[in-house]
Amino acid sequence: MTKGKVLVIDDEDIVRTSCSRALTPEGYEVKMARNGFDGLRMIEEEEFDLVLTDLKMPDMDGIEVLGKIKEEWPGIEVIIITGYQTVDTAVKAIKLGAFDYIEKPFTPDALVSAVRNAFEQKKR
Amino acid sequence: MLVKKSLHSLTGKLIITIGTLMIAGSLIFWYFLFRYQENALIEGSVKYGYSFVEYVRKSTRYGMLAYQKLIIQQTIEAIGSEEGVLNIRIFNRQGRITYSSNKKDIGTILDKTSPVCTGCHTEDEHPKDTKTWSIKKEKDYRVLNIVQPIYNEPACYTSTCHFHPKDQKVLGLVEANLSLALLDKSIKQQGIAMIIYVLVFLFVISVVLCTILWKFVSTPVSLLAQGMERVAAGDLDYQVTINTRDEMGDLAKAFNAMTLDLKKAKDELVEWGHTLEKKVMEKTEAMQKAQAQLIHSEKLASLGRMAAGVAHEINSPLTGIVTFGHLLRKKFPEGSEDREDIDVIIDQANRCSNIIKGLLGFARASAAEKTLINVNDALSSSLNIVRNKADFFNIKLIINFDESLPPVKADPSQLQQVFLNMIMNAADAFDGKGTITITSRTIEDEGKEFVEIEFSDTGSGIREEDIEKLFEPFFTTKPVGKGTGLGLAVSHGIIKEHGGSIFVKSKLGEGSSFFIRLPVYREYKS
Ligand SMILES: Nc1ncnc2c1ncn2[C@@H]1O[C@H](COP(=O)(O)OP(=O)(O)OP(=O)(O)O)[C@@H](O)[C@H]1O
Ligand SMILES: [Mg+2]
Repeated sequence: MTKGKVLVIDDEDIVRTSCSRALTPEGYEVKMARNGFDGLRMIEEEEFDLVLTDLKMPDMDGIEVLGKIKEEWPGIEVIIITGYQTVDTAVKAIKLGAFDYIEKPFTPDALVSAVRNAFEQKKR
Repeated sequence: MLVKKSLHSLTGKLIITIGTLMIAGSLIFWYFLFRYQENALIEGSVKYGYSFVEYVRKSTRYGMLAYQKLIIQQTIEAIGSEEGVLNIRIFNRQGRITYSSNKKDIGTILDKTSPVCTGCHTEDEHPKDTKTWSIKKEKDYRVLNIVQPIYNEPACYTSTCHFHPKDQKVLGLVEANLSLALLDKSIKQQGIAMIIYVLVFLFVISVVLCTILWKFVSTPVSLLAQGMERVAAGDLDYQVTINTRDEMGDLAKAFNAMTLDLKKAKDELVEWGHTLEKKVMEKTEAMQKAQAQLIHSEKLASLGRMAAGVAHEINSPLTGIVTFGHLLRKKFPEGSEDREDIDVIIDQANRCSNIIKGLLGFARASAAEKTLINVNDALSSSLNIVRNKADFFNIKLIINFDESLPPVKADPSQLQQVFLNMIMNAADAFDGKGTITITSRTIEDEGKEFVEIEFSDTGSGIREEDIEKLFEPFFTTKPVGKGTGLGLAVSHGIIKEHGGSIFVKSKLGEGSSFFIRLPVYREYKS
């Protein structure tokens, strides 16, 4: 049994695999999407506990993804992945309902603890 | 000094006028004096003539009474031979010459119209029976003619000798012609002397007049004219030296005052021109500087934007390096050489990450969220961050806040970032021990109000040649891994974005002072 299902939405392959490689050994089931549309479609198809989404993506950005998720699936927690440049936006995102944000480049430990916190929050 | 002279000059005219008046005046004066003297001389001669005739009459009286004709004739001849006596004649009542110094005349009867007779007997008129005189002109001298009647007297008609009746009043005439040659000569001499006097007088007067006019009119006038020429030619330092207390002196004083005023006015103009020029130059320089600065900060900004773009792209691959580094690291036992190698990879990736964070500061600078803040508050929160750091245990912090600081419109977190960078730089400038003084104050520059924050340290100071490079990205003197050289570049970008300025004063070995100026926010700007 997995600890939970995590969807990673990022336009960059290396970030997606990094998340996957950091979280899978910890017992999470990780799925990946290369953009917001794909991600939302996947959420419609199967259930997820947590979504990690990049803030700056072409076509649909992280804030939009966050808005859609919070609108239709309020139970799914969202963690924003951000570059330093967009910290201010990340803060805004938390106000919009994101659980946390994590700055690139992050260490696997930092990511894991952020995800763990999110699940603990969910349990309560 | 050369002074031009001509008849058209003032002096010339004055001399001609006064000279003419003098000549005319003295001619009239001398003429009347001359005439008066001549008259006086003639009067004297006439008096002498009368006494002479009286003398003749008296000398012949005895001869007459005694009727001694010969004696009378001889006496008259003797007297008549005197120098200056032309002739002496005695007439009887009928006009016959009875005696004469010239024997040939005796017996001649004179016509009633002869001058001797007309002296008394004018037509229709009763004879005057008095002595008369007249002057007539001979060839080259004048002749004084005296006629005196011989009156009847008791001795005459009582005398036994002859025939004069008692009722006759005038018995005859004595006439004498006296030469006035001597008198004429002396008058002529006097005239010549007088002319000489007049000429000498005129000459002396002219010389004196010329000298006076020259000294008091002509010279000052031409000095003034010369002064005016000099002044007109632009020599405004020229002063006319006429120290007399007359109108010329006043004129010269007025002229000098005018020249001084002119000079003052001109100097003011020139000065004004100079300051204008200087001001224009200063303004041009300031403008060029501002432009250069604008270009410089524009360069920095676009460099920053590019760096930010690059940084953002690099963030993702770095995430990969860091994550996979950590994953790999876990596969090696603690303390193994491979694990240490991987640690190096991770450290270097973190270093890249730091550089990128710095670069991303540029992007932040342009995305400021400005609110009204008190700079002191931003300073305080920056200080709170560093205060508890171990690096600051040996550093003395002196805080001089102006408590009545007006607000500025700024992004507080960006200001904190700038202030933090300033404090960290100062702390890095000394080996452990030192003093950092932070001052806030209000200043006025070119009519605008600013909040100025000064960060002074007692650190190493900055080398002259480094000062202009300080604000360029990646300029650092710190060892690799310690400084990125982005702190000041980003600070500069942020402060510029806030409409402020940042500059530095430093002395190598003594310390540095960084000044940040932010414009004061005034809601109601007049
Ligand atoms: N207070 C100071 N005293 C002496 N030198 C200074 C001071 N502040 C800055 N400097 C010089 O200016 C250089 C550039 O400073 P800047 O803050 O831009 O970069 P850094 O401090 O070297 O690196 P970073 O701030 O990115 O960690 C420094 O390396 C240092 O040589
Ligand atoms: Mg620095």
